[in-house]
Amino acid sequence: MLEAFNFRVLLDYMPLFGKGLWATVWLSALSLFGALLVGILACGARLSRLGFLSAAAAAYIEAIRSTPLLAQLYFLYFGLPSLGVRLPEHHTGILALSLNSGAYMAEILRAGVLSVSWGQIEAGIAFGLTYLQRMRYIVLPQALGITIPPLLGQAIVLVKDSALLSLISVFELTRAGQILTSERFMPAEGFFTTALLYLMIYYALKTLSSWWQKKLIFVHPA
Amino acid sequence: MKRWATRLWIVSMATVFLLGLSAPAPADTLQEILQRGELRVAVQTQGPPFSFVDKNGVRTGSSVEFCKLMAQEMGVKVTFLDYDWDGLIPALLSKKADLLAADMTATLKRALKVSFTDPFYYTGAVVFAKKGSTFKSIEDCNKENVTIAVLLGSTGEVEAKRFFPKAKIKSYKGGGPLLINAVLAGHADIGVNDETAVVGQMQEFPPNSIEILPIRLSKQPLAFAVRPEDTHLLQWINLFFQWIREDGRYDENINYWVKSLDWKKDH
Repeated sequence: MLEAFNFRVLLDYMPLFGKGLWATVWLSALSLFGALLVGILACGARLSRLGFLSAAAAAYIEAIRSTPLLAQLYFLYFGLPSLGVRLPEHHTGILALSLNSGAYMAEILRAGVLSVSWGQIEAGIAFGLTYLQRMRYIVLPQALGITIPPLLGQAIVLVKDSALLSLISVFELTRAGQILTSERFMPAEGFFTTALLYLMIYYALKTLSSWWQKKLIFVHPA
Repeated sequence: MKRWATRLWIVSMATVFLLGLSAPAPADTLQEILQRGELRVAVQTQGPPFSFVDKNGVRTGSSVEFCKLMAQEMGVKVTFLDYDWDGLIPALLSKKADLLAADMTATLKRALKVSFTDPFYYTGAVVFAKKGSTFKSIEDCNKENVTIAVLLGSTGEVEAKRFFPKAKIKSYKGGGPLLINAVLAGHADIGVNDETAVVGQMQEFPPNSIEILPIRLSKQPLAFAVRPEDTHLLQWINLFFQWIREDGRYDENINYWVKSLDWKKDH
């Protein structure tokens, strides 16, 4: 079965896959940063006592979670220009991934914050801690510790979703596989290599997150 | 070996093994089609006039109607399998389909992988832009600040790179109307695609939004394709085309779908 694979072609295409891997890594990293930012903001708004903030965040989260990422991506790419806003492909991609993943991350973070028992917060109040101190010392360390595994899951989903950017002509890992397929008609070699490289990113992310969970947060790794 | 490395190894090998599994090849695909009672055709929803889904939700077009006639002559039913442009040849080679029927140019490079039938029509790559654009000649398009939309893996992509080496090329994956959308949205200044495809697709956009520029890049033979070993099927299809050329069904099809916009009334 391995003889059927044309490894010579893979060697020829290695620089292309390297470029694609790098593009996927930096696009995902920026999107992940954006998604965390959006997630924290949306989570804060959702938990806010101000009704309109909470309602706006809820509406955003529902809108994102009820529509496919591909539709959101096409809307941003082909729809927005008719409203007078035209973003380059990379910006569109990072924006779409950040907004999409941010909604899911907001819900993950909210679940983490809500999981901290009310008794601890009451204890904090009894000790005279301010709201920010209670957040800093009681709620956030626990909430973050609990949410690292699901956040990692979401980060992996984001990396895989970045494959969709190939549809708006962004060059990344999946596009590298598509190019090998379209130039040499070798989908098996192309997409096998693509899959293997995604697996590498996955392991890197996983290692990073368990290190983070062990070193920075005082909870047992899941 | 570390635990993660072992896992990586197992996952890789399992994937290689699964990819390596495939059924042994039957002697003759044509016999297999007759036994199965079904002709499986790989197509693409490229848009009118060759293959598209009409306003009633029915797949039709010149290539599709040719295949229906073929199936009728074979006495089998026909099933259409829809792929992206760059997925058509892999779909044929991996035996998902018996026949590839798109408005595909029979290039020498593609012919290294598949067997093309005799060409059934000739078309050429053209350049299109928003109506009223300033592009008039090849020189106008071959500039660093010009962006060109093409389909990944299409002959348009090859022609665009050859004629406009200075311009920036954006390759889209998916159907042809995507290129017109990209030009209309301002993501590209011009697009390059087959003339027949562009003329057909333009009908689905508002009039006066897109125009074909007086620049012709090539003349190309369109053909259907089968797997290289399927000589019996290949010869049958060539003979089929000879027959329908003689009895007028070929002209009927091409005049209705490709050389006029008559199809617009019914579809």
